[in-house]
Parts: sequence; structure tokens; C-alpha cells
Amino acid sequence: MQIENPLNASPLAFPILECIHIVGFAVSIGTIAIVDFRLLGLGMRRETPSQLGKDTFFWTLGGLIVMLFSGLMLFSSDPDNYYLNYAFDLKMFFFVSAIVFNYTVHRKAVESDTPNGKAVACISLALWACVVFGGIFIGFLNSTLDIHHI
Amino acid sequence: MLLSFALWIQATDFFTYLRGSGYVYPCILSMHMVTLAVFGGMILMTDLRMLGWAMRSRPVADVVDQLRVTKRWGLVLMVTLGALLAGCKAEEYYYNIFFRLKLILLALIIVHWLVFRRAVYARAAEMDRAGQVPGNAKLAAALSLLLWAGVACMGRGIGYVDPPFGIHAQLWPF
Repeated sequence: MQIENPLNASPLAFPILECIHIVGFAVSIGTIAIVDFRLLGLGMRRETPSQLGKDTFFWTLGGLIVMLFSGLMLFSSDPDNYYLNYAFDLKMFFFVSAIVFNYTVHRKAVESDTPNGKAVACISLALWACVVFGGIFIGFLNSTLDIHHI
Repeated sequence: MLLSFALWIQATDFFTYLRGSGYVYPCILSMHMVTLAVFGGMILMTDLRMLGWAMRSRPVADVVDQLRVTKRWGLVLMVTLGALLAGCKAEEYYYNIFFRLKLILLALIIVHWLVFRRAVYARAAEMDRAGQVPGNAKLAAALSLLLWAGVACMGRGIGYVDPPFGIHAQLWPF
């Protein structure tokens, strides 16, 4: 049975959702980066990492929720395509790793104001960068896969 | 004149190499998006602090002054990467309506900086002493939010416009 996704009814729906997705990840990754740059000693040194962690907590979470739900809606527009795209698989792997890392190891390092947080900050930034790389490569692989009409 | 410049720059060895480089071009685009996330996010948070919506337990000056240098280097990196991307498809981008809108918004951001840098951004410590953010600072923050969100959305729009027929150079998928 064919069910029409309302997202595919308007050609504007997908690009508008992409913009929401971009603003969502700018807020979440940006707030995480503020904390990571503090851990690296590259900014906000009048604050402690734990203070910044508390201040940005809800914005990080809010950004992640916006990013996740807009991402799910983007995915729903053409699931087969994403399913076959290995950049998408890699992106999901890095996304889950980044989320788990952020709310376990990263959170502990930030809350304890450890002076040795540089490695944690680097791993955090690297994981989120990998998620973004995955997102960009989805589009570049799609143009070579040519599986739009399965 | 602009068009002949665009044709010249995309035909240079450097940009011809980048355009045909397969994985290098999407890696530069990815780095451009990483800088958008990291430093664009910092810009948004600075604006949200000024509006009183985020990081309210931190003084305005702490956020505005301590992120300034970081954001400035981030912007240099972001613009450099963006210029590399634009150089690859200079001719196509010359015709692209979203690229033009993006440049207009970036020009408005320079105007915004010239108008508000002394009147608002140099006075964050005064706002903390007074205990409130004045109206023109909130206006500056709101405009900054809109302009930067607009730049990001126009950037996304660029990819949706097909290159015009008969263009001299195009990006080939790997």
C-alpha cells in the first residue's frame, strides 16, 4: 500500500526542514563547543566548566531535540535512500556515540571541573565533527547512488 | 567584470584541481559546516545572552568579551573555507540567487558590526553594572540572530538551484 508522506507534497518542506535542522545543530553543537573550548582553555576562562555546563544544559538539550526531530522528518521523506546510503549509517553511528559520550564521560569531566579535560574536549569535538561530515556525505553519495525510484 | 573574474578564478589550476578532487571538495564543505556549528552556535548564544534568554547566571560581559577572539578566528576559518567552495563553482554561483542573497546578508552583517560594535558590544560591562540590557543592545542581538540564521539558510538554498545551461565548469560526483 502506498502512503503519501505529506512532506513530499511540497517542494519547500524538505529545504525548510533542513534549515531548522541546521539551526538546531548550531545551537546544540555550539553550546557543547563553548564548554569544550573552556576545557581546552581557549575561551570563557572566567567561568568554570561546570558553571558553563549548567548554563548551557537546556539549550544543548533543546538544540538536540530540534535536530533529532527535524532529522527524523527529513529521513521519513525517503527512508530507502538513507537506508542504502552508508554515509547515513556512519552518521548514525557517530551520532549515537556523540550523544552517549556527551551525557556520560563528557558530563562527568565537566561537572568535576577536572584540569585534565582536554582529551575529553577533543574527543567530543571530533565526534560531533564526524556527525556533520556524515551529514554532508549523505548528499554527495546520493548523487552517485541514483536509487530515487525503487 | 564580475563574471570574467568568476570565470578566471574557477579556471586557475588550484580551483580546477579542487573541483575535480572527489573527496576533497565535500571535506571542505563538511569543515565549513563544522565551523558553522561551532562558531555560529557561539554567535547565537552571545545574542541569546544579550536578549536575556540564555546563560543568565553569567554576566553579559563574560559571554561577549570572552568569546570574541574565539569567534573571530572561527569566522576567518569559516570564510576561508567558504571562499574555497565558492571558487570551485564561481561561474555557477555568479548566477545563483541564493548565493547573491547570502552575500547581501553578509554585507548587512558588516554594516551591523560597524553600527553596533562601539554602541553595544564594547559596553557589555556597563550593562552588567546597570543591571539591565538597553533596547538598542537587544535590537542588535535580535538582528544578529536573524542575519546569521538567514546566512545559514541561504547557504543551504545555494545547492537547490540547478546550474544554468552551457556553463563552463561543473562539479563531478565521485
